[in-house]
Amino acid sequence: MTTFMIAVISGILYFLGTSRIGYGISSTLGAPVFLGFIYGLLFGDVANGLIIGASINLLYLGVVFTGGNVPSDGALAACISIPVALQLGLDVDTAVTIAVPFGILGSFVDQIRRTSNLIWLHKADDFAAKGDEKGIYRCAMVYPTITAFFIRFIPVFAVNLFGADAVQVLLNYLPAFITTGLSVAGGILPAIGFAVIIMSIGRNELLPYYFIGFFAVKYLGIGNMACAVFGICIAALMIYRDSKKGAQA
Amino acid sequence: MSERLLTKKEVNQAHLYWYLAAETNNSYERLQAPSFCAAMAKNLRKIYKDDDEAYKEALQRHLEFYNTEGTIGAVVVGIALAMEEEKAKGNLTGDVITGIKLGLMGPIAGIGDTLIWGMSKAILLGMACTFALEGSPVALLFPPIFSIMIFVVGRYTCNLGYKLGSEAVPKLLKSGTMNTLITAASVLGLLMMGALSASYVKVSTPLAWTMSSTGAEIGLQANLDAILPGMLQLLAVFGIYWYFTHKGQNYIKLVFTILAISIIAAFFGILG
Repeated sequence: MTTFMIAVISGILYFLGTSRIGYGISSTLGAPVFLGFIYGLLFGDVANGLIIGASINLLYLGVVFTGGNVPSDGALAACISIPVALQLGLDVDTAVTIAVPFGILGSFVDQIRRTSNLIWLHKADDFAAKGDEKGIYRCAMVYPTITAFFIRFIPVFAVNLFGADAVQVLLNYLPAFITTGLSVAGGILPAIGFAVIIMSIGRNELLPYYFIGFFAVKYLGIGNMACAVFGICIAALMIYRDSKKGAQA
Repeated sequence: MSERLLTKKEVNQAHLYWYLAAETNNSYERLQAPSFCAAMAKNLRKIYKDDDEAYKEALQRHLEFYNTEGTIGAVVVGIALAMEEEKAKGNLTGDVITGIKLGLMGPIAGIGDTLIWGMSKAILLGMACTFALEGSPVALLFPPIFSIMIFVVGRYTCNLGYKLGSEAVPKLLKSGTMNTLITAASVLGLLMMGALSASYVKVSTPLAWTMSSTGAEIGLQANLDAILPGMLQLLAVFGIYWYFTHKGQNYIKLVFTILAISIIAAFFGILG
């Protein structure tokens, strides 16, 4: 596949992954693990695409868009890092390292989008004054989506056009301790997501459950799927216990 | 409760538009306002059939500042429809509707962000990553579950809101069901976060000493593992937790701090 085609497809994928049409649809289309699968298909290496996608996805597991703010953008990270990694045959750690700065830049791309939406917001005011509901639909959905296409497509298209070559040059010149350091960071960064979720749950009296999960994996070596199964059972027991209490009261 | 004007199909239409548009025109000035208005518009036309002025006024009312979590928050779309209906009968004024909306959006965002975006998304995508890291396409089963769940739960809460009107949320919170649900979900969430942290946070130290007497090499990591496996991983998670709770929630600053610490530690061979 030509670099040009990769750039075009990446731009479209990034738009789809962040368009936010359908409250929860972008969460699937923009998940790095899903994008990893798509790129895996494109480059004929599904397993590797999934592995790189998932490794990047781990950095963004706990990212919550509180108040509509996007603190970091896994879709942008994925739409640049995965194609570059698959083209150059980079290892997973390096791919994750490339992803980190773009994830941060993504929050600025979203700021541009939310600023541009002001135009359509004020247009919607005019339509409301006229009682024109069709105009309001267009201002709420159609116009912002068309604008978003350009805001999302152009930067990803441009970076992918030159990305792989630039990364190759950069990697040749970086000293070893920097690349080691970046891969150390790649191992620590997923902890942000987990910390954020512990914090947003905010129930210190329930923290032992966190440690049960942690040491179940460490000491007993059970997998995450097994942990989910036991977790659902414990949660179900709690619901039954409390609903019984409610019935007696 | 008096006779209701809107059919279930019409309430579902409002939810569908809300689902489609909730974030598309999110702007810094009024956030989800245009999306809320778009979700309401068609049914407002029916509610204010013969009164163009009241219809325009209602559209403008729902273009005022509004922002919440959209899944649990779909309940507010239902509530607002029920209240507009009461207003059309002359039972309440417009600012009561705005007041209820503004009053509900905060608490609902808190519950929704935690249950939906914090826990459900992290657990489902965490499971997807678990399979994907082994190269298995089974991973693809999990993300769509999240998208579908948001639609189904939102549709339910929207209808509930319309049915119960402004009493919906107090009723929901007082029944205790919501509390039990949040606690149970928190337990599952914490358990999974523990398991995922153990598998996917990676910190280890290459530091080692050579015993001068025997010449045997002793690795620090092996010793740490003997005391408490995953000590450094826990240190990373709770270090960040401490940072967020004591130093403010500046995500970008935190990422740069971690990058700096990692590179410095790698330079001195402390981490690697």
